[in-house]
Amino acid sequence: MSALVVVVIALITYASRAAAVVLLPRPSARFEAVLSRIPAAIFASLATATLLGEGGALPAAPVLGAAAGALLATPARSLLLCLIGGAIGYAAGLFL
Amino acid sequence: MAVFGTLYGAAARGALGVPLTLASSVLVYSGALQFALVALLGAGTATLPLLLIALVLNLRHLVLGAALRSRFESGPIRRALLAFFLVDETFGFAIAAGNAAEPAAVGRSTERTLLVAGLTLYAAWLLGTLVGVLGGGLTAVESVAGAIFPVLFIGLAALAATRRSHVVRALAAAGLTAAVAIWLPGLRMLAPVIAGVLVALPGRER
Repeated sequence: MSALVVVVIALITYASRAAAVVLLPRPSARFEAVLSRIPAAIFASLATATLLGEGGALPAAPVLGAAAGALLATPARSLLLCLIGGAIGYAAGLFL
Repeated sequence: MAVFGTLYGAAARGALGVPLTLASSVLVYSGALQFALVALLGAGTATLPLLLIALVLNLRHLVLGAALRSRFESGPIRRALLAFFLVDETFGFAIAAGNAAEPAAVGRSTERTLLVAGLTLYAAWLLGTLVGVLGGGLTAVESVAGAIFPVLFIGLAALAATRRSHVVRALAAAGLTAAVAIWLPGLRMLAPVIAGVLVALPGRER
């Protein structure tokens, strides 16, 4: 990734922050609902994409254990607890 | 925030190099997006999918910004400056501060909290990134590198899923991404954007 790409991504990010705060009217309820659904779906997809290798190959047991540990912690809706769950799962996977 | 910054600095150093890792934290200041970019770079993703991910992940700022705008009382220049500090965490702090304030002080309290929390977390993020690129978290990161991103994204998904329908959609997106990874491996790293948008479109909120 080049410096130019970093700058473009920074501009995209700032523009997205400033657009609503400075320029745009409040989005319609329908559009707001759709926007609010996107982050969780994308993060779940990214988790899947980073777990699976080429052709859907599964990772090593500690990584699977970490993902399982983090998943078990998701009802708490706490990033810290998910990280702790992941660490415990990773450690458990090392023993398998 | 400093801990995550350290993890980011250590993880990004190999993919971006030290100058770009530091520059990304200074200029972008978005942990979720920056982690996503490093994960995608590690998988060999091209520039266009990176920019698409940046666009789509940043769409949520429109919602956060719209929710804050109705509380702001200052002019456009000050709002434009405050906008840089709009991240998930500072949004939560600012809304909470506004809710706790007297009606006449909602705007002032919301803006002041966004600024103070934003500056504090920004400083912590930069300090953490610096520690990470200098090797402070490298040993820990290297041994669990493959697990950091899935765990982090699972945690972020849990945070972002504020309704049951979000959970269902997140599971559907994960399934769709897995199917693409297995049957269309060439599109594997573009799948998160496609799946995330596809599952968000249909239906009503429950």
